[in-house]
Amino acid sequence: MPIQSVSWVSKTLAVTRKDIVSEFRTRYAVNAIVMFALVTLTVISFAIGLLSPSKEILSALFWVILFFAAMSGLAQAFIKEEESGTAMILRLSCAGSIVFFGKMLFNLLLLITLSILIVPLFIVFLKISPADWIIFTGGVLMGLIGLSGATTIIAAIVSKASVKGALFTVLSFPVLLPLLVAAIEITRVSFTGGSFADISAPFQLLVAYDVIMITLSSMLFDFVWRL
Amino acid sequence: MWWKIIIFFGMSAVIVAAFLTASPMRAADSLGAVDAYRILYFHVPQAWVASLAFLISMIYSIRFLKTKNMEYDTKALTANKLGVMFAVVATVTGSIFAKMTWGEFWNWSEIREVSIFILLLIYGGYFALRSAVSDPDTRANLSAVISIIFAVAALFLIFVLPRIYGLFSQHPSDSILNESGQITMGATVRIIFFSSLIMFTALFFWVYNLSVRVARLSANLLLENKK
Repeated sequence: MPIQSVSWVSKTLAVTRKDIVSEFRTRYAVNAIVMFALVTLTVISFAIGLLSPSKEILSALFWVILFFAAMSGLAQAFIKEEESGTAMILRLSCAGSIVFFGKMLFNLLLLITLSILIVPLFIVFLKISPADWIIFTGGVLMGLIGLSGATTIIAAIVSKASVKGALFTVLSFPVLLPLLVAAIEITRVSFTGGSFADISAPFQLLVAYDVIMITLSSMLFDFVWRL
Repeated sequence: MWWKIIIFFGMSAVIVAAFLTASPMRAADSLGAVDAYRILYFHVPQAWVASLAFLISMIYSIRFLKTKNMEYDTKALTANKLGVMFAVVATVTGSIFAKMTWGEFWNWSEIREVSIFILLLIYGGYFALRSAVSDPDTRANLSAVISIIFAVAALFLIFVLPRIYGLFSQHPSDSILNESGQITMGATVRIIFFSSLIMFTALFFWVYNLSVRVARLSANLLLENKK
């Protein structure tokens, strides 16, 4: 019987689908990430909602919520594998880069789900709405791609550490700082209303950051995965 | 042996000359205490050595990942240990300089202060990871990977962000690393400044050499005791 060669795209999507299915069973990561973002948003609304914060502050707060929700929810991608004992099988069944892109895609879907839930609430609670939705969506999407791209390998690193604690946040923050700066800038422009010329510089930075970080992570992933 | 004597006398000469000659900043250009600018002779080389140490650590991390030779991991760790010391000193001297010229110890809108702070966070993250992993092989691999990721992120922060962002240049830029300070320096100032740079670098390499040899000896001793 001839051996069918399966393309790496379908292998990657298989890893993502596996994660989605197991996520539907327990809903652990989705709950953690959505509840964390919801709580943060509520705290912010209570704390400064009545003070009518400026659009600049709100754009920064938006990314603070996303950043901390990501910190609480994305580390479990590999820790879950190690703890349930399925990491070995995953190592045996496919190449490292496939696992990396599959997990990264799953984290991205998790973050997109989070954004779809949080953005309407953000608009309602804090009484702000993007003046330009294209810029807003584009900025958030590129930012989330960078967020999942840069943190997937750090999640893998943290899963190997014996004392996990706040290690994921400590390691991710310096790496994510350029992304946060650019994303906050784009979101600010989308709130206050601006042209595409205003965001060209941060957007280029965001795209460059995404490409560089994903490439670097995929190159280094095998060194972490194959330990 | 002779170069140690040169470092001793050279460093002493730099320290004496820094206080006996004219201050590097003319009263007309400076914003405050003219004498405070003497700290530039020390602060800039310290920041330069901290960045150099981090670069050395990254190079040894790459070599470790290629060859899996633990010697390189020791060298990378030593470079980071020395680097963090220089970074702390650079931050403190920079903060003193900021207080004397701009009136405040810290200001988030000054890019140089933000960069050195992020460098400290990166060093902190590196040591946090090292202390969180107990197995030496895993520790070496993970530290090497995070070193490379941090280095790329640091490159973004130091070179890309200041060029793109107006929001980080509200302060008059102090005349150090890459611009007109070079041109306005008089001949005496230039001599002292570059000697200071050379002396600090030489000092770093001397201490680095000693630390690596100590680490190597203690590792050998450990092996001897186990036999």
